[in-house]
Parts: sequence; structure tokens; C-alpha cells
Amino acid sequence: MFGLHYRLERKTLGFVLAVIGVASIGGLVEIAPLFTINQTVEDAPDMRVYTPLEVAGRNIYIREGCYACHSQMIRTLRDEVERYGPYSLAVESKYDHPMLWGSKRTGPDLARNGGKYSDAWHVAHLNNPRDVVPVSIMPAYSWFLRTPLRTDDLGKHLRSLRAVGVPYTDEMIANAPADAYGQAAPDSPFAEGVTKRYGEATTVRAFDGKPNELTEMDAMVAYLQILGRLTDAAHKPAVAMEAEPAAAKSAEARPSGGKP
Amino acid sequence: MSLAHETTVWFSKSYGLFYLIGLSIAVLVYTYWPSNKQHFDKAADSILRDEDRPWR
Amino acid sequence: MISQLTIPERRLALTILVALALGGLLLTIAGQGDPIGVHGLMFLIAGAGGAFLVIAGYLAPEPGPERLQHYYDEPTKFGIIMAMIWAVIGLFVGDWVAWLLVYPELTFDAGWASFGRIRPIHTTGVIFGFGGNALIATSFYVVQRTSRARLPDQLSPWFVLLGYNLFCLIAVSGYMMGITQSKEYAEPEWYADIWLVIVWVTYFILYVRTLARRKEPHIYVSNWYYMAFILVVAILHIVNNLAMPISLGQAKSYSAFSGVQDAMTQWWYGHNAVAFFLTAGFLGMMYYYLPKRADRPIYSYRMSIISFWGITFFYMWAGSHHLHYTALPQWVQSLGVTFSVMLLVPSWASAGNALLTLNGAWDRVRDDATLRFMMVAAVFYGLSTFEGSFMAIRQVNALSHYTDWTVGHVHAGALGWVAMITFGAIYATVPWLWKRKAMYSAGLVEVHFWLALAGTVIYVFSMWNSGIIQGLMWRTYNESGTLAYSFLDSLVAMRPYYIARAIGGLLFLIGALVGCYNIWMTIRAAHLHDPAADSSVPVPAPALQPGE
Repeated sequence: MFGLHYRLERKTLGFVLAVIGVASIGGLVEIAPLFTINQTVEDAPDMRVYTPLEVAGRNIYIREGCYACHSQMIRTLRDEVERYGPYSLAVESKYDHPMLWGSKRTGPDLARNGGKYSDAWHVAHLNNPRDVVPVSIMPAYSWFLRTPLRTDDLGKHLRSLRAVGVPYTDEMIANAPADAYGQAAPDSPFAEGVTKRYGEATTVRAFDGKPNELTEMDAMVAYLQILGRLTDAAHKPAVAMEAEPAAAKSAEARPSGGKP
Repeated sequence: MSLAHETTVWFSKSYGLFYLIGLSIAVLVYTYWPSNKQHFDKAADSILRDEDRPWR
Repeated sequence: MISQLTIPERRLALTILVALALGGLLLTIAGQGDPIGVHGLMFLIAGAGGAFLVIAGYLAPEPGPERLQHYYDEPTKFGIIMAMIWAVIGLFVGDWVAWLLVYPELTFDAGWASFGRIRPIHTTGVIFGFGGNALIATSFYVVQRTSRARLPDQLSPWFVLLGYNLFCLIAVSGYMMGITQSKEYAEPEWYADIWLVIVWVTYFILYVRTLARRKEPHIYVSNWYYMAFILVVAILHIVNNLAMPISLGQAKSYSAFSGVQDAMTQWWYGHNAVAFFLTAGFLGMMYYYLPKRADRPIYSYRMSIISFWGITFFYMWAGSHHLHYTALPQWVQSLGVTFSVMLLVPSWASAGNALLTLNGAWDRVRDDATLRFMMVAAVFYGLSTFEGSFMAIRQVNALSHYTDWTVGHVHAGALGWVAMITFGAIYATVPWLWKRKAMYSAGLVEVHFWLALAGTVIYVFSMWNSGIIQGLMWRTYNESGTLAYSFLDSLVAMRPYYIARAIGGLLFLIGALVGCYNIWMTIRAAHLHDPAADSSVPVPAPALQPGE
């Protein structure tokens, strides 16, 4: 066997296979169990999918590279939980293709941003952050308000998401453009379909303050307002934490991931 | 089904260790096997020898 | 360039280019009204323009069999020039985004100029544009010398380099239009990813074919590292980019993975891109150029083998340290820490091996800025791998993660290790390639060295400071048990460090510009002195120039 390696590297192909073998084992063995993890992650029967308008908003968030400065992942550390809210659960991002956990907080975490500020605040802030937060270093996204949202292809977006595992129904896919319009036009006949398909709790509002126009601002604000609110699952263990302050104070509030 | 997850986790946790030890031993034995030394010395020197053109 | 191809190669090149142009045409038509149409047009122009050049040069005389007496270095020359061009672009945009964090109004109210869209131009420009071109170019150079065999044909190296640069161009132009997958360091969309797979497979086959033609029985260790770089990057790229496009006429796609699986896949990719793109490849470069320049064999060849298998094996487990305290299961996090800490062993073995090689040649390090570039690179490699293992420890990561400390760590590696070893290798290769005695100006190499070192140190220190202050402010409690600082307090505290960082980056950029000028003058001088240098006359191997 001692000449083995020598022979191995003399045969280029054998060497190639050796490198593939050694290198891929770590990744495969480590990642493989995560694909069976659904068996152990928290259950969230109340969780709904993103509406077409929120999907469009999420895509704008991706397009503008917001994830480069904002995380969407609250760690199980005391100061993070106190600053941002209950720590993030795996189940909360199960419909996130791709996930937007982020890696850097040049700005604050957004995982529980939904409902924290009013629509008007978001519109003003996105239009020019320094109007509402004088020391902000976030770029201004003033074109959101003047750019109409593209909705004609939203059905294709939903169909593609269904192909990778998000449970959109045929009805949702067929009505995607109308639902996107309806969610930002509460007085229109399309509004009703949104709550019918995505649940009574779905927010239907003129997010950008202009009910007759569907702009990118509508989509963006709708998305920012749903962050952390697709399910209540994360707020349940928080109750347990208050009951046991000792556990909450420790740096690791959760004993082991996936099994709260 | 929960068995499947626990099995894969168990495999991940334990297999890496054995694999690590096995691989380390194999690599160390190979590198320190006395008769391999001359090959290595030759290889280390080889790049310093003249190399203005391909050998034909 | 066409005149170097044989007639069958010209025919094949024409076929490929026409196919590329047709593909581009289809994409242009299918992608009307979508940004993908612009990229279709770029493919079309690249294919049609290339086809035109091939046709124009089609009747040029074929290269004679005497070409087989020489190594084929034209692609390497091209790759090195492209690497320097991308370095300037990538560093310029990097400094630009650094200033954006100080003066956020610099976006001209335009989408393409906002931080989120141009930051990936910086990362792609420096990692893939600068680093990738340098790796491909030097790998062609090294594999031929160490195998004592010429590249097997004239077409595929050009396909690899030109195709790769087309990929980079598609990537960065896409970001400005808002085309991104949002996966860090894997932003390009599905069609660009497919194109890169084609290019990369060609690269792999070319490399294996060259190795198969080698006359040396033993494969020199540099090639192991280059090989691991090519292979593993292919695996990572394909797995992490699995996605479902919404249609064939639109750029947008949805990742096949979601949530926690996607996070793990992404950081398995992200961390191993660092391992096999930014470490293994450049170690391959170091193991050739450093001994060559110092004119001494590598200190311990055995150690280089042990490090190789260690790095290849350990790195793959370490990705999960990017996800401490998140929703990722804890056992995966613990595995990540364990292997990250163990990684220190092969990493320091490599750094130590490089420095020990210089033992007895320190006078050269003192006199020769090119060798000093490589020496400092090895030092920074040792420092940043130590820092990396340290930051992978959960309790440290609790403080450092999400802060500028991570940015500082990345730049200690990217500026201090990757860029320095590359500049060292380029300054060593340029005179060899263009058959010159030495670089145009040794003094300018010296200037570049000090600018690069000063820039790196300023950058890294300001980010250490800002990162640690940030992390501490976020977790400080006052006496009544509530958080002492708002997020905005920490933001305001960062400003002086952001200014210092941007200045450090500027120095590094100026250094690269000095390097470009020096290389340009060296090449020009080559043409003036010896117009036939790179064609027929066999020239003996250039002697080393201590103290050039």
C-alpha cells in the first residue's frame, strides 16, 4: 500500500478521484441529514406562503442586494433576543428560496421587522432614509415610488416556486397578477380574492399610500411588513423563556437546534 | 421516518472521526515511508532545473 | 492569435463561436423586455465578433511543427493582463462602495449605483476577475513547466480564458441591472452558471490532458493544489447553483433549496470557495513561484503533501461555522468548530513551509520586493488562518459575527494573502514570459509593495477596531439591565473607521495602478528590444535575478 499513493498520483485519473472522494465526503455527510430535518424541526401548522405581492417585494429586496447589509436571522443570544425579538426558527424560512439570513449587519436585523413601523414610515424611509433617520447610511430607493410593479409574470414565479417545493395551488398561480394588484388596492374587487386564498390575516392595504397605482414600493413595503409574521411559532417558545428566566439569561437560550 | 434522521445524524457524527483518523494515518505513513523520500526530494528539486522547453 | 491555431482548430473555433452567437440570438429574442435579453445580445456580440476575427485570420499560414518545441504561453500572457485589468476594476469599485458607507448620497438616485448592486461587482471583480484570471493563467504556466509538456492544443486554453472572462463580464453587468441570485459569491443567474460549467469542464479536461502528457513521472505538488481548485470549485458551483428558472426567456430563478438547507448549502459553498478558490489555488501558485524565485527547493515536500490532504479534507466540514447560534442544528455547528480549529494545523504547516524555504535567502527577501511580496503573503496566510480558526469558536463568533470584524478578516486574507502572492507571482512571471531580463522598474515594484502593505494594514486594523466596538456595543447592558446602546449609536461610532478603511483601500488601488504601469512598460520594452522574442528563437530559461 505504500507505493499506492505514488502510483495513485502517477495516474492522473486516480488522483482526480481521490481528491473528489476526500473533498466531497465532508460536505455530503454534513449536509445529508439536513434533508431529513423536516422530521424534527418545529411544526408550524399556521404558516402561510408568501402572497404574489410579497414574492415580488422579496425579489426587489434580492435585486437591490439588501441582504448585504441586513440579516434576517436572530441568534439565540440574550442581547439579540432583547434587541430584535424571539430568535429565528428553522421553520420560519422554510418557504425562503433562497434564504436571506445574511452575514453582515451594517444595518439592523430585519427578521422581525414586520409590523414594527407604519407603512408611511417605510415609504418615507425607503424614499430617503435620512428624512426619518438623520444618521442613516442606507442608500435612497426613491425610484420604488415611481416604478410600476411588473405583475404579468407572477404566475410563472409562483409555478417555479411550486416546482421547488412551496405549496401554491393552481388557483393561486392562475390569479397571481390579480392578487398582487388586489392586495395593494383594498377597495378594488380583487382584494377579496387575496384574503380568500391566503387567509383572513393577510394584510390588504394601499402600502405606498396610492391605492390606484401598483408600484415597486407597494411590493417592497408589503414584504417588509410580513417579515417574521408568516407564522406565530417563534413567539411560543418565548413564553417558555419568560417562565424560566435562568434559561433565557444564559448565552445559549436553546439547548439544541431543531429541538426546542 | 424519524429513525432515518437519527441514523443519518449518527452516521455524520461518528463516521467523520474514523475517517479522519484513517486518512491521517494513511497520509502520514505514505509521506514518511523511507523509500518515498528520494521521490520527494527529486520532485522538490525538479522545478529548479532548466525548463526552457518541453521534453520530447 | 488566430495564426497560432491550426486549420482544424480554426474550423472548430468557428463552429463554437457561431453556436455561441446563435445561442445569444435565441436568448435575445426570447428575453425581450427582460434583462436577460441584454445578456443574450452580449453573447451574440461575443460570438459574432469572435467568428469575424477567425474568418479574417482564417487564411493565415498555419503554425509549423516547430511550435511543439516551445511551451504555449500566449494564453498565460493574456490571462495576466486580464487579471491586472480586473484588479483595477474590482479594487476601484471596492473603494467606491467603501466611500458609499461614508457618503451614502453618492448614488446619483440611480439603481445601478447603489451599494447593494455594486458591492457584488467588487467581490466578483476581485475574486473571480482578478483571482480567477491569475489562477488560470499561472496554472497554464506551471503545469507546462512542471510536466515538461506543452499544452495539448492551442484552442482550449483560449476557450477557457475568453469564456471565463465573458462569464465575469455577464456577471458584473447583470448586477447593475439587478440580476442576482442573492447567494454571496454565487450571484450570477442560471444561464451564466451553465456557461461557467461548460468553460470549467473544458478547463478541467485541458488540465488533465496536459498532466497526462507529462514527461516527469511525479506530479509536482503545485498541480495537486491547482487540481483540487478546479475539481472542488466545479462540485461547489454545480450544487449551490441548482435552481429553477421561471422561464427560459427570463433571468430570474428560484433556488432548489430553502431555509436551513439553503443556508447550509450556501455556506458550505461560501466557505469552500475560500478554501479551494482563494486558498488551494493560490497555494499551488506559491509552491511553484516562491521556491523558484528564492532559487531554493521547498523546505519540506512531505509537509506540503500532509497539508494538501489536510486542507482538502478538513475544509469541507468547516462551513457551518458561518451559522453559529442560528436555526442550524447545534451538532452541525459543533462539527464546524472542531474542523475549523483543526484546520489550523495544515494551514500553519503550509505557511511555515513557505517561510522556512526562505531560510538562508533572507538577504534576497530584503533586496527583492517580488520575493518580499510572497513572503508577506505567507505571513498573512498564517495570520488570517489563525484568525479564522479563532473566529470559528462559538463564543468568539457570538461577538464577531455580523460585524466588520468578519470584513477585516476576509480582507486580511484577500489583500494580505491572495493579492500579495498574486502580485509576487505576476512580477516573477512577466519578465520570464516576455523574455525580459527584469521588470521595467524594480523601484516601482518596491513602491507597489509598500503601498499594498500599508493599505492592507490600515484596512485590517480599522475593521478590527470597528468590528469589535460594534460587537461590544450591541451586547453591552447598563446597570438597570437593559441594552446600553441603540443600533444607531453603533452606526455613528463606525464612521471614523469607515473613512480609514476607504483610505486603506485607496492605497491598495494606487499600488495596483503602479503595478499596471510597470507591467505595461515591461511589455512595451520587450517589443522594442526583441520583436521576435516570443516566436521562433529558443531562449534559455531566464536566470533568477536576485535584487532586481
